Amino acid sequence: MSREDREKKFQAEIRELQLMAENLVNFGQQMGADEVEVTVATGQEFSVSVRQQEIEDLTEANFRLLSFRVIKDKRTASANSSDLAPETIQNLMKAAIQRATIANPDEYSGLPASLEPHVDPASLKLYDPEILTMEPRSKIKLALETEKIALSDHRISNSHGANFATSVAAIILANSNGFSDYYEVTSFNLGVGLQAGGTDERVEDGWFSSRRFFRELDPPEIIAQKAVERTVRLLKPRKIKTQAVPVIFEPPMTAWLLGFLFTCVAGTSIYQKASFLVDKLGEKIAATNVTVLDDGLMPGKLGSRPFDSEGVPTRRTPVIENGILKNYLCNTYAARRLNLSSTGNADGSGVSPNNFYLVPGQLSLREIVSSLRQGLILTKTIGHGLNPVTGDISRGAFGLWVEGGEVAYPVSEITIAGNLGEILANIESIGNDLGYETAVCGPSIKVAELTVAGE
Amino acid sequence: MISHSNPFPLSLPDLERIIEVALSQGGDFADVFLEYRRYQAVVMEDDIIKETSESIVQGLGIRVINGEKTGYAYTNEISMDKAKQAALAAAAIAALPSPVKVKPLVAQEVTTDFYPLKIPPDSLPLEQKIQLVQEAYLACQGFDPKIIRVKAALGDVGQWVAIANSEGLYIAETRPMIRLSCVAIAAAAGRREFGFAGAGGRVGYDYFTEVKTPKSIGQEAAEEALTLLEAVDAPAGEMPVVLAAGHSGVLVHEAVGHLLEADFIRKKTSVFWDKLGQKVGSSQVRIIDDPTLPSMRGSYNFDDEGTVPKPTVLIDQGVVKGWLQDRLSAKLMGLPLTGHGRRQDFTSFPLPRMANTYIDRGEYSPEEIIHSVKKGIYAERFEGGQVEDSGKFTFTISTGRLIEAGKLTAPIKQATLIGMNIDILKNITMVGSDLAFSPQIGTCSKEGQEVPVSDGCPTLKIAKMTVGGQL
Repeated sequence: MSREDREKKFQAEIRELQLMAENLVNFGQQMGADEVEVTVATGQEFSVSVRQQEIEDLTEANFRLLSFRVIKDKRTASANSSDLAPETIQNLMKAAIQRATIANPDEYSGLPASLEPHVDPASLKLYDPEILTMEPRSKIKLALETEKIALSDHRISNSHGANFATSVAAIILANSNGFSDYYEVTSFNLGVGLQAGGTDERVEDGWFSSRRFFRELDPPEIIAQKAVERTVRLLKPRKIKTQAVPVIFEPPMTAWLLGFLFTCVAGTSIYQKASFLVDKLGEKIAATNVTVLDDGLMPGKLGSRPFDSEGVPTRRTPVIENGILKNYLCNTYAARRLNLSSTGNADGSGVSPNNFYLVPGQLSLREIVSSLRQGLILTKTIGHGLNPVTGDISRGAFGLWVEGGEVAYPVSEITIAGNLGEILANIESIGNDLGYETAVCGPSIKVAELTVAGE
Repeated sequence: MISHSNPFPLSLPDLERIIEVALSQGGDFADVFLEYRRYQAVVMEDDIIKETSESIVQGLGIRVINGEKTGYAYTNEISMDKAKQAALAAAAIAALPSPVKVKPLVAQEVTTDFYPLKIPPDSLPLEQKIQLVQEAYLACQGFDPKIIRVKAALGDVGQWVAIANSEGLYIAETRPMIRLSCVAIAAAAGRREFGFAGAGGRVGYDYFTEVKTPKSIGQEAAEEALTLLEAVDAPAGEMPVVLAAGHSGVLVHEAVGHLLEADFIRKKTSVFWDKLGQKVGSSQVRIIDDPTLPSMRGSYNFDDEGTVPKPTVLIDQGVVKGWLQDRLSAKLMGLPLTGHGRRQDFTSFPLPRMANTYIDRGEYSPEEIIHSVKKGIYAERFEGGQVEDSGKFTFTISTGRLIEAGKLTAPIKQATLIGMNIDILKNITMVGSDLAFSPQIGTCSKEGQEVPVSDGCPTLKIAKMTVGGQL
């Protein structure tokens, strides 16, 4: 099939599913629902993993999922199905309307009241038509090449393999307030996981690149090189004494910290009183140099979308501005509970980040490290240990020990413990190295002090 | 009690044809995994039944194995055309036509029943499910005036699965699962803390009258939040750790179980790959994975490749005895199947996974063990853990206590413990006689696939471990 034919076929499928969504909205209303919202996702995914230069697995698939919610007399019921047969979804609709009558009325329930205009999906550049013409052979080659370059470094002793994955999807939304629209997204991911050292002194890490447009993806050489560097720098770790020291977070670690911050500023956590940031709007919760934004409108970025799962247009929302907590991130329900407005963060029955990031500063990571007399560069954490109710953090950690502004040696078998509120208040420097490998992201930061437990 | 009939319009001869298409380009083996899953959920919050939901998941996944290579394709549109398309996509992994002949499918009887339930999940009216949620919610809320918020949730699943393969196997069953959980937030003196409790398993609704009541789940969540209001910071540094029976099973899951999964062994990424028959831990340590324990989350009558499972001894008297196998790894390693090939759903191909993993009982009484520690911590409940193939693992305590002069004293706040698995196995210096399993709510994640599991252990003493508290 030519690219044009594939494009036409996909467009025809989207139109058919959009009509199905609109029909189901009408059907629900006819059956007695006050409000109906129907979402359909459809798409294809491809993934290939190679290990030691052989294909390990290759997956190709088509997926479809229809989900909906109905509101009747302020009572809500929802359902979803991967069986899109008209009979199945109509029966699910009738059953949901019946179930709604068993739930309790909730004055805050319901769809967004008004229809606000959103940007033209095409202007966000979320869809790369190149996905339709890439052959499996060239995808396999990318994974093979990435691993080959990494394995050519003699310090690498084993491989978890390299993976290249692509997906294309259309998200279709229709509701009983007259909303009906869709957008298409593509994604490309290339990564490799490595081990270095002998069996009983093994270290591991890896690297990846993730983009909406194929041409923006990092090439295999860059990914392999970074994966090798990140792995071998952990070789021959030492244990350190338990102490409180300054800690530098590398960008993936800042992203991890921001992921936890998102949970704590999510309107759903706030109304459930499940966050240490309840009742803190307008207060200073972070150092003055800290500004965190949620922005759904950045062209080509992984966290961008024209509208959220309720059809509310996405926007640019300051979350923390110069250290002051400015906004909680809400769907329509949380916003009504908190007497705020939706920020276009709805995702299913909860909220999710758009591009949620810490605004970068001026310093390079190199400059931040050289300013550190003694301390830890945090490179990876594992485990659980995040408590949004208190902001407490406790994780297993890996890192590099710094002496006199230079990396001295790697450390392992340590834990870090602290509190997100205290960390935010004690961010001393912010780096200029913000990439956008994930929707939640940030540059390197230096935090005044955390407890590092070792021997 | 449960229907095992095929909900799809695909007969055994249809499945044979699909497998033939899958092997048309070559390959050693092919299988089809069919799944039809219904899920129902109820959420109570703000004193009201906020929402009910229902979900239907259907699909089929087709796998072709060619040497070490796996081709996989899935679709949620169930028809002969779509299935053949998927079979061809999966077949692309094979390069040369091979002489493998597809055997005619013979339906195999399921002869065991590890889900001995009286009231199947889909047989209870929604109104009665709502009542169970309300009982848990109200018991939690009414437990103490310091409980300021409660959320209770119930979810139940009936999962019909069938496996057909090129060796002539066809087997099908319906697997039940219920989970009732409760979250509490307690507040006092400017402090807020969070408590959680849950229970369930591969059970019917009779479980909530005969084994564990919703009321006790609600109360446990409240108690945990209230205890934490009084908690002090955990200490930081290396010290002896006593793990309570039951909840602490997460240790065996993270520290040992994952690294005995055969794929990590055959790829030599696990620290255990060259240690079969070697002594890696204290002689008191015996570790078993048993998918045949009745009613547990990790139990099944056959695994997701159709293999009838066996209890598998992983470590005995501190010596590595075996691996957890799926078909691919067992074949490549020339070892027998153990029945641990599991998958999240039809979108995923099988991997070697744990089911119900536990450390067997030892000879010490729990009191003796606590009494033997001058200064350390007692870990009661956990949030979960993680392990690297290198053997470094963590787990996080959600509640615990200080041990001072052989006695349990103040409750401690959340803390993460880290260690190297081989050191920890050697440092298990006392194993208790009180084997128990953790609450039946655990989910294990590997390569993006989540499967229900459970784990267990008796009271254990670890001579020293790094505790990530505060100075």
